Amino acid sequence: MWHIAKRELYDNLNSLRFALATVLILALMLTNAIVYLREHPARAQAYHNAAANATKTVEARSTSLYRLAAEGPGDLHKAPSPLRFCAEGDEAFLPTHAGGSNFFPGIANVRPIWRMIYPQETPHLFNIRPDFTTLDWAFIVGYVLSFIALLFTFDSISGELERGTLRLTLANPIPRHIVLVGKFLGAFISVNIPFAVAVLMNLLLISTSDAVQLNAEAWGRLGILSGIVILYACLFIALGLLISAAVRESGVSLVVLLLIWVSFVIFIPNTLASIGSRTSVPIAYMEFWSRRIQLGNEAREAYRDKYGDSQTPPPVHVLGEYVTSEAEAYERFNEAYLKQQIEQGKRARAIIRISPTAITQRLFESFAGTGFERHLQFIENVQRYAREYREFVIDTDRADPESLHVVGIQEGMSQKPVNPKAIPKFKDTLSLNRDFNTASTDLLLLVLFLMVIASGAYLAFVRLEI
Amino acid sequence: MMLTLIRRELLDNLMTFRFAVAVFIMLFLVVANTAVLIKDYERRLAGHKTEVQKSRKYMLDGKTYSVGELNIDRPPNPLSIFNAGLDKRLGNEIWVYYGHVPTLWDAEKHSSQNPFMNILSSIDIVFIFEGVLSLLALIFAYDTLAGEYERGTLRLVLTHPVSRGYILVAKYISAMVCLLVPLLMSLILAMFLLTTSASFSLSMPDFLRIGGIIFASIAYLSVFYLIGMLISAMTRRTSTALMLSMFVWGFLVLVYPNMIVAVIQPSNPPEERRASVHNHIKQIWEEFERERKQFLATDRHLEGDPYGNMRWRGGYNFEHFQDKASVLQHYYYAGAEIDGFHEEPESQALHVQNYHRFLVPLIIDTAERTWRIREPVLEELFILPATIDRAWLRLSPTGIYDVATQALAGTDLQGMQDFFTAVQQHRQSVIDYYYDKNAFGSRQWFSADKETVDWRTLPQFIFQRSDISLNVQRALPDLFLLLTLNIVLFIGVFLIFVRREV
Repeated sequence: MWHIAKRELYDNLNSLRFALATVLILALMLTNAIVYLREHPARAQAYHNAAANATKTVEARSTSLYRLAAEGPGDLHKAPSPLRFCAEGDEAFLPTHAGGSNFFPGIANVRPIWRMIYPQETPHLFNIRPDFTTLDWAFIVGYVLSFIALLFTFDSISGELERGTLRLTLANPIPRHIVLVGKFLGAFISVNIPFAVAVLMNLLLISTSDAVQLNAEAWGRLGILSGIVILYACLFIALGLLISAAVRESGVSLVVLLLIWVSFVIFIPNTLASIGSRTSVPIAYMEFWSRRIQLGNEAREAYRDKYGDSQTPPPVHVLGEYVTSEAEAYERFNEAYLKQQIEQGKRARAIIRISPTAITQRLFESFAGTGFERHLQFIENVQRYAREYREFVIDTDRADPESLHVVGIQEGMSQKPVNPKAIPKFKDTLSLNRDFNTASTDLLLLVLFLMVIASGAYLAFVRLEI
Repeated sequence: MMLTLIRRELLDNLMTFRFAVAVFIMLFLVVANTAVLIKDYERRLAGHKTEVQKSRKYMLDGKTYSVGELNIDRPPNPLSIFNAGLDKRLGNEIWVYYGHVPTLWDAEKHSSQNPFMNILSSIDIVFIFEGVLSLLALIFAYDTLAGEYERGTLRLVLTHPVSRGYILVAKYISAMVCLLVPLLMSLILAMFLLTTSASFSLSMPDFLRIGGIIFASIAYLSVFYLIGMLISAMTRRTSTALMLSMFVWGFLVLVYPNMIVAVIQPSNPPEERRASVHNHIKQIWEEFERERKQFLATDRHLEGDPYGNMRWRGGYNFEHFQDKASVLQHYYYAGAEIDGFHEEPESQALHVQNYHRFLVPLIIDTAERTWRIREPVLEELFILPATIDRAWLRLSPTGIYDVATQALAGTDLQGMQDFFTAVQQHRQSVIDYYYDKNAFGSRQWFSADKETVDWRTLPQFIFQRSDISLNVQRALPDLFLLLTLNIVLFIGVFLIFVRREV
C-alpha cells in the first residue's frame, strides 16, 4: 500500500498541477495574511475605543443610582474575533453593537427608563467598491482547495484505466481496496502539501507580526480548523475517486466533477438560502414598528385614564410600576421580534447544509468566532449583561435602608453615590464549549458525507471491470 | 472545404457528453436562479410600493411646510436580475430636505429588512455566466488542437490542401455555435420566466439592454474559448492543456477578481483630510448659526427663542444640527408644527414669520455652500477609489464583463448616481415651489392653526432610468476591450498554430 501511495505521490509531485496548485494557494494565503494584518489592528483599535467610551459613559452616569437605572448601560459592542482571517462570516453585514436607550415618550413629569435596543440598520450603505468575496480560509478551502482536490483525482483511476496501467497494477497480488487506499493517500498527501506550506506561511506572517497576538485558545481553534480542512479535503478526494472509477473516461469524469463542483460549491450555498428564508418570515418591520408604538401609547393611555385627572401626582410606587412595566413590555416585544428574525436566519442557513461546502463554511465561522452563530452568542451575552446590570441596580438600592426601593423613579431610589468601579462591565466572551455544541451537527454531517462518498468510491472501484 | 471542416467539428462537438452536460448545467443553473431572482425582485418591488404609499401618507399628514416628510424611494431595477451591481446594496430611501443636498451617501435602507438576511449572498445571471460559461468554454477548447495533435489526426487534416487559418476558423466557429446553444437556450428560458411573471414590465429599451448583455456574454465566452485554444496550441499534451486551462480559469475567475479588490488599499486619503473637510463644513454652519443668533438678537419680540414667547396649545418644534462625520454630513434641521395658540399672538406670529423668511433662504444658501465643498470631496473619498478598483478588475476578462454588463443593466455606479441626481433636481423644484408659494414667510410654515398645507400641488418626483444610448455609451469602452481581447487572442492562436510543427 505504501508503495502505491508513494508511486502516486511521486507522480503528482512532479506534475504541473502540483506546481500550479502550490503557487495559487500560496498566493492566496499570503494575500489573506497581508490583508488581515492591514485591517485587523484598526478594527481592534476601533472596538477598544468604542468599549472604552461606553465604559466612560456608564461611569459618568454613576453620579446617582437613579441615572443608572433610567439611562441604562449605553451601547454594548461586539468584540472582533482575532481569527477573522479564517472566516470573515459576512461580519460587515451584521450589527456591531446593541444597547440600552431611554429616548422614548414619557408621561407627565416622569421620564421612561432604559430598555434594550437591537439595531436594524445595515451598515456600509455607502460602500460602492466592487462586490467581492473575502479571501478568508473558508473561501480558500471551500472553493480553491476543493477545486484542486478534484483536479488531482479526476484521472487517478480513469486515467490509469485508459493508459492500461491499472491492469498492470492489479495483476500483482494486491487486494483492490489497498490500491484504492494507496491512491487516496497519495492524492491526500499531494493536495495537503501545498496547503500545509501555505497555511504555515500564513500563520508565520500573522504570528510574527506585533500587531496581532493569538492566545492559546486561538491556536486550539486553529488546530480544530485544520482538522476540518483535512476532513473536507478527504471528502473531495473521495468524490474524485468515486467519479473517476464510475465514469472510466478522464474527460467525462472531469466534466461530471466540475458539474458537481459548480452545483455544490457555488450554486447551493449562494442560492438555496434565499429559498429557505421564505419558510419563516417575521412580521414586516413597519408593522412591528407601529405595533410597538401602539404598545407605548396604550400603556400611557391606561395610566392617564387612571391618574391623569387628579391634581396630586400618584404615589411613587405607581409611577415606578408604570415605568418598569412599560420598559419591560417594550423590551419583550423587541426580543420577540429579534427571535423571529433569528429564526428566519436559522432556517435559511439550515437548508444550505445539503452542500458540504456550506457545512464547512459554517464550521469555519463557528470556530473562528465570526458570523451568524457568533452574533447569537453576542446577543446572549448582551441579554445576560442586561440582567446583571438590572440586578446590580436593584441590589445597590436594597442595600440602602433609606431608599423607598422604587426603581426607575428619582425620589424612590437610593440617593447615595455609586462606586463606578462596582458597576458590572460588559464582557463579550466566546465559549469554545458552545461553539462545539453548535458545530457538532455540522461536524457529524460532514463525516457522514465523507463516509457515504468514500464507501461509494470503494464500491465503484471494487466492482470496476477492467 | 471550410464547410466540411465546420461540419466535422460541429458533429464532433455536438455528439459529446460534455455538450450534454453543458446544456444541462446551464439550463439548470439559470432557470433555478431566475426563479429565485424573480421572487426576490417581486419582494423588493412590493416593498418599494408600500414604501411609496407610506411616504405619500406621511407627506399628507404633515400639517406645516417645515415638517413635510418628503421621502423618495428608489425603485428596484428589473435588470438587476442579470447583474445586481449596486442595486441591492445601496440605500433606497432618501429624504428630500431643503437644507441638505441629498446624495447616495445620505440614503437609508427602507423598512429595514432582517439584518440576518443580509449575510445571505445571492447570485445573478451574469455571475453564473462568469463562472460557468468560461469553464465550459475552456472544457470545449483544451483538447481542440492538443487532442488532434496527440491522436495524430491533425497531421492527417494538414495533408489536405487547407490553410491552417481555415482550420482554426472552422474550429472556432463550430465550437462557438456549440457553446451558444446552452447560452441562448438558458437565456430564452430565463426570458420566458421573466415575461410570464406579472410584476415585470420590460420595455423595448430593456430588451435592447438585455440584447447588449447577451452580446457581451458572447464576447466573454469567445475570450475564454480563445484562451483555451491558445493553451491548446501551445501545449502538446491534452492533460497539460487541461491542467493549465483549469488553473487559468481558477486564477482569472475565482482568485484574481477577489484578490485584487482585497489587496489594493482602499486608497483612503488620510483620515485628517476627511476630518478637516468636515470641520470646514461645520465652520460654515457655525457662521450660519452666528448670523441666526444675530437676527434673533435684533428682534426683541423673539428674544433668542422664536417659539418661546408664544403660548401654544399643542404641537412641537425642533431645531438641531444633524451630523454624520463619516460621510461629511452636517446640516441644520428645524421644523415646527403648532396646533394652536392660547391667546391670539398676531404680532408675535408675524415676527416668527419674519424670522423664517430670513432663516430658510439662509439655510438653503448655506446648504449650497457646503455642497460645493462636499461634492468634490465625496468624489475623492469614495468614487475615486471605486473607479481605481474597477480599473484593476479589468485586468481579468471576468472583471471587464462584469463592469460592462453592469453598465448595460444600469446597476453600475453611474446608473445609481442618475437616481440621486434626479432627487437633487427634485429638491430644487421643491425649493422653487416653496419660493413660488412664498412658503417660508407664511404662517403655514410653522403653524397649523388656521389652515394646513395642501401637499397635493407639490411637484411630483419622476425618475426615468437613463436612456439606452447612455447605457451603451457607458458600456462601450469595456465592450471594445472585450472585442480587442478577442482579436488579440485570435491573432495569438493563429501565430502559434501556424508556426507549429506537426
